[in-house]
Amino acid sequence: MRKIGIFAFSIPVLASALFWWSSGPAHSDPQWVDSEVEVIAGDVSAEELFEARVEVIAMSCAACHGTDGRLRTAIPAIAGRPEALLNLQLQSFKQDRVPGATVMPRIARAYSEEELQGLAAYFAALDP
Amino acid sequence: MQNIRLIAMMFGLLAIGFTEPVWGWQRIPEIQAVLAGTEPRMAGVRLEVPAVTQDGSSVPVTVTVDAPMRADAYVEAIHLFATRNPSPELAEYTLHPLLGRASLSTRIRLDQSQAVVALARTSDGEWLGAVESVRVTVSGCLSRAGTYTSDNHMQVRVRVPDRLRTGQVGEVRTMIQHPMETGLREDASGRVIPANIIEELHVKWDDQPVLRARWHRAMAANPYLLFSIAPAQSGALSMRWTEDTGATAEYRAAIEVRP
Amino acid sequence: MFNQPISRRESIKRIAGFSAAAAAWSWPSIAIPGQGASGRVVVVGGGFGGATAAKYLKRMAPELAVTLVEPNTRYITCPFTNLYLGGIRSFESLWHSYDELRQRYDVEVIHELATDVDVDGHTVELASGTRLAWDRLILSPGIDIRWNELDGYDEAAAEKAPHAWKPGDQSRLLRQQLAGMKQGGTFVLVAPDNPFRCPPGPYERVSMVAHYLKNHNPSAKVLLLDAKDGFSKQGLFMQGWAEHYGDMIEWVSRSNDGTVIRVDADRLEVETEFGMIHAADVLNVVPPQKAGFIADRAGVTDASGWVPVRPDTFASALVDDVYVIGDATQAAPMPKSGFIASTQGKVAARAIAAELTGRVLLPEPSWANTCYSLIAPEHGISIVGVYEVYNGQLREVPDSGGVSPMGADPLFRQLEAEYARGWYAAITQDVWGTPAS
Repeated sequence: MRKIGIFAFSIPVLASALFWWSSGPAHSDPQWVDSEVEVIAGDVSAEELFEARVEVIAMSCAACHGTDGRLRTAIPAIAGRPEALLNLQLQSFKQDRVPGATVMPRIARAYSEEELQGLAAYFAALDP
Repeated sequence: MQNIRLIAMMFGLLAIGFTEPVWGWQRIPEIQAVLAGTEPRMAGVRLEVPAVTQDGSSVPVTVTVDAPMRADAYVEAIHLFATRNPSPELAEYTLHPLLGRASLSTRIRLDQSQAVVALARTSDGEWLGAVESVRVTVSGCLSRAGTYTSDNHMQVRVRVPDRLRTGQVGEVRTMIQHPMETGLREDASGRVIPANIIEELHVKWDDQPVLRARWHRAMAANPYLLFSIAPAQSGALSMRWTEDTGATAEYRAAIEVRP
Repeated sequence: MFNQPISRRESIKRIAGFSAAAAAWSWPSIAIPGQGASGRVVVVGGGFGGATAAKYLKRMAPELAVTLVEPNTRYITCPFTNLYLGGIRSFESLWHSYDELRQRYDVEVIHELATDVDVDGHTVELASGTRLAWDRLILSPGIDIRWNELDGYDEAAAEKAPHAWKPGDQSRLLRQQLAGMKQGGTFVLVAPDNPFRCPPGPYERVSMVAHYLKNHNPSAKVLLLDAKDGFSKQGLFMQGWAEHYGDMIEWVSRSNDGTVIRVDADRLEVETEFGMIHAADVLNVVPPQKAGFIADRAGVTDASGWVPVRPDTFASALVDDVYVIGDATQAAPMPKSGFIASTQGKVAARAIAAELTGRVLLPEPSWANTCYSLIAPEHGISIVGVYEVYNGQLREVPDSGGVSPMGADPLFRQLEAEYARGWYAAITQDVWGTPAS
């Protein structure tokens, strides 16, 4: 959870401070600082950012599991699978406890337990 | 609003991050020792390095000094430094006007992203310099295995032109097989592998020394040097590499010079 | 967004550990760019990067007008062209159409060459003279060859000594030459120094060439002359070569005088740095490369010939409102691969959707890449990289990623070969919507 906030929050906090200090009311001049700052400056909860982070990670999954995780080849489809099952699989990959696993442990280790849990929920919620 | 952007970047939050700082190199003791209180003019030296390299173990470097190489006015020394390596010295070269051109290409090791500094001293005592930054990324997709094998230890490869016209500048490529052990590396059992490097390459044209290269441990394995030669008449180019153990390797080649 | 059966709000509620109250939705109050944000995005290049960016832009922000400019009506993938060369895959199976982008995602696809970019006027010029206006431009131009950088290797030389590093007629030519090579002949592949498209590509190529030769020309030799001292997945490749092809493949490293400095395409000879002449029966030159020319026209390249980008979004580091993705970028430690180009396209699309709509959140980015290579039809190997921004620069996420284990058994290799085929079906579905074949 912590990790998510740091990157995205630190920019608006600083940028807003700079903005107030220099040039009047917020958002009157969209050119005031780099666009990526502008976009995330605002009333955003940690939950919303976490959900967005999960969506961004999930986009990478599509390259092997198909768009929205719906394609079944030798690589399984993941859309609409039970959340608990997906979560157990992802956490087991992360802990390198899946015999015969190939690329998934190397991928899962890059993400936090919460992010993997978020991915499980995300794909479980999609239509198969 | 420009200044806001600038301030934000100073905090590193929007840093684009593909260049490394190039300031502060003047304070490195090894560089101060070479300059001995003189201020180099940051001009006249072209230092070619990749802005980004995926392999810090062998980074190509070319230094070219825009100065004549005549008997009465020439570049007599070139020094290379890497500002953030465990030891900043890379190499020192002593040059003779017979080289025809003050241009050298070699390969160095960079421990991390940093600035590379080239300093050149002309025969009238002036120091010229250039500094360039290199970003070193370590890519798993380019992960490399050691390719050095000991069965060709100190084997040399040299390419010398057979013939040149009078006044023509010829190109000489040299490479010697050598691990250039830094003394910083551990073997599989965790023991430090002792330093073992080629310390010197000495080049003569007939009996005249024309180039001396002094190498430190951050030169890349299989030391490579490309230089030039512009002899006035036919003769022979001879080279001798010396390892820190005292072992040597030699090479000799004749060049025919015609008007 | 995301054509999915549940609403975004519901999906949040389902994320374990969140209470429904915590997930109560409120769109962030955000400044939307003032200057009549019409939301026009032009994407130049319909490969892995560009086609993905176009599709995902429309998925995230259907109200944006997205135009994809790509001269070819059929896209031929670089991935798996080596399998075509090895005789285990048809050329047609590498073709993909733009039908899904047009029909399902309402992307306007224009089959023309983009010839120029006016970054001040925010337009792209096409070969026909048409100008397209944009609010944001995505360039996914791939690579161009640096002709003559390698002495003697120009466009005419490539007709005799193909590079086959941009798929199409070059791939067919190389395939014909390989099939027609005399018994006991020598296939020479010249590999460039970094950076270049597809780091494991030359090594998979000689694997597939050797596979073909083993069955059709068993006394032939494969000579790999390399301007590097190491390469991607080197240990796995060399182990696999010995296992499947004995001593058919010989790799000559830079330190062993592998760097080629001159090509004589008429005589099918190459000359190395230290003067060795190698004669070939089939000569495949993978030449030095740079960003596709349109990047130069847009002014986004630097002295290296590649494109520096902001690591978090892949916006150009040099020109506002222009995003660059794929092989053209300087994104090390990310490789120049189709997979990562597609991932970069998704993240850039998200950044643009966030900018232009003001309602898509842009969190800390994440990119993943998996490169499979086949050493033999049932011997696959892989390398994984997951990337993040750290201290303003891209890096691999620590303690993640890496290559297949060295000592794995044949079943593991076979499984990875099967996964390689599954990956190809999936990514081409994700990018172009082509049904798995």
